[in-house]
Amino acid sequence: MEKEGLGLEITELRLGLPGRDVAEKMMKKRAFTEMNMTSSGSNSDQCESGVVSSGGDVEKVNDSPAAKSQVVGWPPVCSYRRKNSCKEASTTKVGLGYVKVSMDGVPYLRKMDLGSSQGYDDLAFALDKLFGFRGIGVALKDGDNCEYVTIYEDKDGDWMLAGDVPWGMFIESCKRLRIMKRSDASGFGLQPRGVDE
Amino acid sequence: MNYFPDEVIEHVFDFVTSHKDRNAISLVCKSWYKIERYSRQKVFIGNCYAINPERLLRRFPCLKSLTLKGKPHFADFNLVPHEWGGFVLPWIEALARSRVGLEELRLKRMVVTDESLELLSRSFVNFKSLVLVSCEGFTTDGLASIAANCRHLRDLDLQENEIDDHRGQWLSCFPDTCTTLVTLNFACLEGETNLVALERLVARSPNLKSLKLNRAVPLDALARLMVCAPQIVDLGVGSYENDPDSESYMKLKAAIKKCTSLRSLSGFLEAAPHCLSAFHPICHNLTSLNLSYAAEIHGSHLIKLIQHCKKLQRLWILDSIGDKGLEVVASTCKDLQELRVFPSDLLGGGNTAVTEEGLVAISAGCPKLHSILYFCQQMTNAALVTVAKNCPNFIRFRLCILEPNKPDHVTSQPLDEGFGAIVKACKSLRRLSLSGLLTDQVFLYIGMYANQLEMLSIAFAGDTDKGMLYVLNGCKKMKKLEIRDSPFGDTALLADVSKYETMRSLWMSSCEVTLSGCKRLAQKAPWLNVEIINENDNNRMEENGHEGRQKVDKLYLYRTVVGTRMDAPPFVWIL
Repeated sequence: MEKEGLGLEITELRLGLPGRDVAEKMMKKRAFTEMNMTSSGSNSDQCESGVVSSGGDVEKVNDSPAAKSQVVGWPPVCSYRRKNSCKEASTTKVGLGYVKVSMDGVPYLRKMDLGSSQGYDDLAFALDKLFGFRGIGVALKDGDNCEYVTIYEDKDGDWMLAGDVPWGMFIESCKRLRIMKRSDASGFGLQPRGVDE
Repeated sequence: MNYFPDEVIEHVFDFVTSHKDRNAISLVCKSWYKIERYSRQKVFIGNCYAINPERLLRRFPCLKSLTLKGKPHFADFNLVPHEWGGFVLPWIEALARSRVGLEELRLKRMVVTDESLELLSRSFVNFKSLVLVSCEGFTTDGLASIAANCRHLRDLDLQENEIDDHRGQWLSCFPDTCTTLVTLNFACLEGETNLVALERLVARSPNLKSLKLNRAVPLDALARLMVCAPQIVDLGVGSYENDPDSESYMKLKAAIKKCTSLRSLSGFLEAAPHCLSAFHPICHNLTSLNLSYAAEIHGSHLIKLIQHCKKLQRLWILDSIGDKGLEVVASTCKDLQELRVFPSDLLGGGNTAVTEEGLVAISAGCPKLHSILYFCQQMTNAALVTVAKNCPNFIRFRLCILEPNKPDHVTSQPLDEGFGAIVKACKSLRRLSLSGLLTDQVFLYIGMYANQLEMLSIAFAGDTDKGMLYVLNGCKKMKKLEIRDSPFGDTALLADVSKYETMRSLWMSSCEVTLSGCKRLAQKAPWLNVEIINENDNNRMEENGHEGRQKVDKLYLYRTVVGTRMDAPPFVWIL
C-alpha cells in the first residue's frame, strides 16, 4: 500500500519477485535524492524525479560529480511524453483528490475533489451541488427508491456501486464517478449489492 | 563503366533509393558522381550543421525531398537548452531562392516558426508532404498557412511537437478544392478542434489513409469520421469516453466493422476502457498498436484487446501491462517485431510493474523480435543471457532500468555479462542503450563484438577512460555516441581524434572532460565543431583561475564541412 502524507514519496513495498531484496538494497544504492532535484532552465517539469529518496541512508555509488546534484532528464523519457503522461498521472492517480464526474444526460463532465469530502453524506451533498440536481444524494443513501444510482470506477477498472465500502477505502480506490439512470444499470456489469468480493 | 550512355545509368540508379547506397554509388568514379547528383531526389541530412543549404543545392539541384535533423538526441530529455539552435528558416529561405522543386520536407528536433511555414507554403508549387517530429517554435497559424496555400498537400504529419495552439480555425483553411490528403496527424495539438471543418475535410479526402486525432475530438465525432473514411489504414483515436449504451457508441461499433483496411491503431488519450470492445472485430488485422499514451487502459480490458491482435508486428505499451500482460503478448503476438514498454509512473511511486521476467517471456515467445525499448524496475544477467539466446536478431536493443547503477538484483553483480551476451549474439545490432550497474568490462565486450553498432547511449556507467576507449577503438561503424554522467575524460576524448571524422557526433555531459582538453581537441581537428554548452556559468569559465582544469558540463562535437555555425546563442561556445 502506498504510504501517503509523508511529503516525500517513498519506495512502495509490495510483494516482489523471489530473490528481490526490496527496500534495503534499493535504499542503499540510491545515489540521488528527491531534494537534490532542482529544476534548471528549461527543466521545470515536476515529473523529472523518476527516482526518490527514502529519507534514510543514501550511499553514492557513482563517483561522477554531476551525480551529486541534479538528475535532469532521467529516466530518459522524451519531454513530450513526460508532459502527456503526467497529465494522466495527475487525473487518474488514486487518492490525489480530483476525479471526473459524469452524469447521464449531461453533455459535459465535472471534476471534483474527493479529498474535500468527509464521508458519503458529504459526497452526496457535493454531487447535488455540482449538477444542481437534488436526488443524487438520495441515490447514495437510499439506493432503491430513486431514479439515479451513483457508481465509481475503481483501481482495477471495475465499476462499483458507491456506498458499499468504508469511506477511506472508497477514496483510495475511486478513480472516477458516474451518476447513471437506474434504468440503465442492468447489464452494465455493476457488482450487485450484498455480494461478497 | 562507360559502356552505357548516361541516361541508362541514371535509369539504373533510379532503382537505388536508400541514401546510404546512393552515397556509395557517388564514390565510384567521377562520372557516376555526376550522374548520381543530378538524379538524386531525396536527400537525408542527419545533422543540419554538417552542411549548409547552398552547398546542398549546388550538389543536388534536382532535390525534391529533404530530411533534416537538428538538435542532438539528448535534447529530448531536456539536456539541451531550447535556444541552442536547429533553425529551419535559413534552409527554407535558401531553397525558396533557388527555386528548387521541393515536394517533401521532413524535420526532426528543429526549431520551426510560423514565418518559415508560411514561406514554405508559398514557395513550392508542388509541395506535398510535411512531416514534423519533436519540433517546436510554431503555432496553429503556421499550420493554417500550410493548409491554405499548399494546393496538392498529401501529408501533414505532426508527431510529438510542441505547438502553441491558438485555437484558430486552421482546419477550415483547407480550401474546398483540397481533396488530396493521404495523411493527417494532429494528435499533439492541445486545443479545441473545429469538428465540422474536420468532418468535411475527411469527407472530401477519398485517399485519406492515416488520420490521427487530438484529445479534443470526442467519440461521437470519431464515429462520424469513420463513417466518412472506411478506407482508413492508420487511426489515432483522440478522446474515447462515452456511454456504451449511447447511440454514438452504437454508430461507432458499426462504422469500425466496415474499416477492413485498418492496420494501425493509436491514441486513446482519454479512454473509457470498457468501450474498447468496439475495436475487437478489426483487431485481427492490426499490425501496429500504440497504447503508450493510454494511461487509462490497463488490466483486463487491455489484455482482452491484445488477445484479439494475433497479427501484431509493432506494440508500444505502458509498463502497467505487467509481466503477466507481457506473457499474454508473448503467447498471442507471434509476429511481433518491435516492442516498446514505457514507464507509466514517472513520479517514482514504485508502481512500475515489469521486470526481467516480462522481457524473457517476450524473447521466448516472439522469435521475430528485432527492436526493443524496455523500461523496467530490475534486471539480471541471467535474463539477458537468455534473451540473447532467444533473439539473436536484435537490430535495436534499448534497456532502461529506472534506477541508475542498479546491479543484477539476484547476484548484486554488474550487468556487464548480460549486455556482453547481447552484443556477442546479436551480430546485426545497430543501436544499443545501456543502464544499470556497469563497469569498463561491458565496454570491452561492446568494442570486441558490436561490429555493426552505429548508435550507443551510455548513462551512469563505466569506471575509467578505458571504457570509452574500448568503444572508440572497437566499433568501426559508430556514428552517434552519447554519454552522460560517466567517468570518461580527456585521455579518452583525445586518444584518436581522427575517429570523429568517421562519426556524425559525440555528446558528453557530466563527464570528466575539461575545458583545456576540449580546446586541444578543437585545435587538432579543425573540421570538427566542438561546442561547449554552459548554461549556468555564463562567463565563469574564463574568469576562473583554474580555467584549464575546469570540467565541462556539456560537450557536443560533430563533423562539418562548413565550419563554425553563426547562429549559436551566447551560452554555447564553439572552440
